[in-house]
Amino acid sequence: MVKRNMQKSLAIGFSALMALSLAACGNSGNNANDSAATNAPKSTNSTNSGGNAAEPATDSGKKVTITFQNIYPDPATPSHKMINELTEQYMKDHPNVTIELDTLNTDQQKVKLKTQAASKEVPDITIVNPAAQMKPFVDAGLFAPLNDVLDQNGLKDTYQEGLLDYYSFDGNVYALPDGNNIEVVYYNKELFEQAGIANTPTTFEEMLQDVKILKEKGITPLAIGEKDSWTGSFLFMNILLRTNGGPGFLQDVLSGKKTFEDPAFIEAVDAFQQLVQAGAFPDGATSIDANAGGNIFKSGKAAMWVIGSWETGAIDASSVAGKVGAFQFPTVNGKGNPNEFMLAPGSAFAISANSEHLAETKDFLNFFASNLPKKQFELKNAVGLGQKVDGDLKAAGYSDLAVNIAGLFNQVQGGDLAFDNTMNPATAQVHLSSIQNLFVQKVDSAAVAKEHQQAFEANKE
Amino acid sequence: MKVLKVPARTIAVFVLPCLLLYVCLVFIPILVSVYTGLLKWDGLSAATFIGLGNFKDMFVNDPVFWPSVKRTLLYAVASMVEIPLCLLMAILLNRYLRRGNTLVSIYFTPVILSVVIIGQLWKTVYNPTSMGGMLNGVLVSLGLESWTHNWLTEPQIAMYALYFVSLWQYFGYHLLIQYTGVQNIPDELYEAAKIDGADGFKADRYITLPLIVPIFKISIVLAFIGSLQAFDLVMVMTAGGPAHATDVISTHMYNSSFGSFKYGYGSAIATFLVVVCLVFTGVINMIFNRIDRKFN
Repeated sequence: MVKRNMQKSLAIGFSALMALSLAACGNSGNNANDSAATNAPKSTNSTNSGGNAAEPATDSGKKVTITFQNIYPDPATPSHKMINELTEQYMKDHPNVTIELDTLNTDQQKVKLKTQAASKEVPDITIVNPAAQMKPFVDAGLFAPLNDVLDQNGLKDTYQEGLLDYYSFDGNVYALPDGNNIEVVYYNKELFEQAGIANTPTTFEEMLQDVKILKEKGITPLAIGEKDSWTGSFLFMNILLRTNGGPGFLQDVLSGKKTFEDPAFIEAVDAFQQLVQAGAFPDGATSIDANAGGNIFKSGKAAMWVIGSWETGAIDASSVAGKVGAFQFPTVNGKGNPNEFMLAPGSAFAISANSEHLAETKDFLNFFASNLPKKQFELKNAVGLGQKVDGDLKAAGYSDLAVNIAGLFNQVQGGDLAFDNTMNPATAQVHLSSIQNLFVQKVDSAAVAKEHQQAFEANKE
Repeated sequence: MKVLKVPARTIAVFVLPCLLLYVCLVFIPILVSVYTGLLKWDGLSAATFIGLGNFKDMFVNDPVFWPSVKRTLLYAVASMVEIPLCLLMAILLNRYLRRGNTLVSIYFTPVILSVVIIGQLWKTVYNPTSMGGMLNGVLVSLGLESWTHNWLTEPQIAMYALYFVSLWQYFGYHLLIQYTGVQNIPDELYEAAKIDGADGFKADRYITLPLIVPIFKISIVLAFIGSLQAFDLVMVMTAGGPAHATDVISTHMYNSSFGSFKYGYGSAIATFLVVVCLVFTGVINMIFNRIDRKFN
């Protein structure tokens, strides 16, 4: 009896250990993948290189697999459909080419790319953010110049004036943007009505007032997913754009004309803390990731959402479609011009300089970028497009929200880029966690300013 | 070796592949990262050698570093405190249940689940009331509203919420190890003790405990080293936030390397982690050798 028991428990022990070591293998280094998979199933994953064998032998080109890293994980969004439909179409036309989508959340993709870059294994096509965020990669020579791609089929002329400048270094363009967006405040008209709010706020004071009213009615005033800390920063920077009385604060800091301990910055931190203290954000905001944060608004549980206009198509595809409007971020303490916006010149597609199939990848990207505007237009996602597209929004059956946003675009009188697009990564990290901290505790605003200044000085080149 | 009658050369041939693999996959990377820790390097462009600059920064200037070390060590202590409980449970299971195996297997289930799943699962348990968090829901329905918290986002609480999940997950693992150990103690010893008048907990004190020491040691070392390297659970549940309140050494290393592009600095932290692991493994071994000697 004893002996059998022993054998049995040993057997359990061994099988357990085996399972454990298997689990360990599966886990290591794949966290980004795992959680991406749990967040959003990849619909085109089955099209890996294994499928090639079944194809007819008639095609003459050599078999090529292009890895396309992207940040469109949510199957409910038009962008997700866009990338899947375009890649499928290209693969149909070019049977020798397989395009493998590596689909991740924004923050996960950033980290994965950095990890890959450190070992010089950048995927054939990846996504980068403009200006300062992209610079270290370009400096390290990881991306191929795309001037020839732009010259092909007149692609260059489709981009809006000046947009490509954010992705150009030393006269070469290194990435093709997927859009050109501004930060707006989306609001749920139905919830505003329920709370008895007639007009959208035009000053920060009114906004705070609305926040309190909404809060009393048990409605979450502002949706946010602050586990991905860029979301809070994006909102904060809009306040700073106002308190500074116009764009260029970070540029002034960079050029030494101002410091973070400038009154404009401290005022912005104060205003932001007022929002937090008023209970504007959902409980536990810092444990909600950006997608889930957006879904609070898109499922009609929050009244406002301060985010880039890139969400227009996704909102129109969600359950609150038709109930949503948008307005400019209000003035703060009477300062700032509502027609100055936080600018988000897209994320952009870059090609690895070390790609094994540079020619094929460039050909695909040309196809992709040329067809992107048309496809987005079809999918009702043409608002915030960085490229010119023929067609009238209203006539094509676009929502009032889309027309509303397009109207805001016409009012743009300049603005700022996001913090992490302007400052170097080390300073940006301190900034991001400093803003995240404001969500969970009250901090002396001067101390926040000081923390920023110290980080900036410590990481200055 | 003479007993085996195998020439040394043969032994070398058989040992070499494994040794090579081990050296290549473990020692060389550690040495490389020690060297990288001496560089100012962003992981992409050219590096500059700055000697011990990173370590100085780490020990003196970094406001995140020491708190994260403290949290890591607390993590380790918490998971070691769990082991005696596992042992007690194992003894009870062994004594009162004829078929403890089924129960042990059930306790073991969380271990085979992926940490990502565990993390997501517990996130929904810990969610704030407004998002339907289970724990808060239960507290509210018991009339204990004042006990509800935002478990993962209140800086003072969040880390303990993470410790608990980790303890919960690995309880079954250590229970299994202890249970196997307890079962391997021959019944004859207990029978003899019974005749001499030692029964129940007295028998445990004089028979089970001394004989279980080596197994106990394995659990302690595994728990300790495992929690020093804790990473995945923290990453999934809080990513070190809010504002570094749940950063442990390994997440701080990760954020420095890949968030701030301070690859050299991240490597310095990694080096520190390796040294801590080695030192504490040594210390634990020493302590147990003493205990062993005392019993024998």
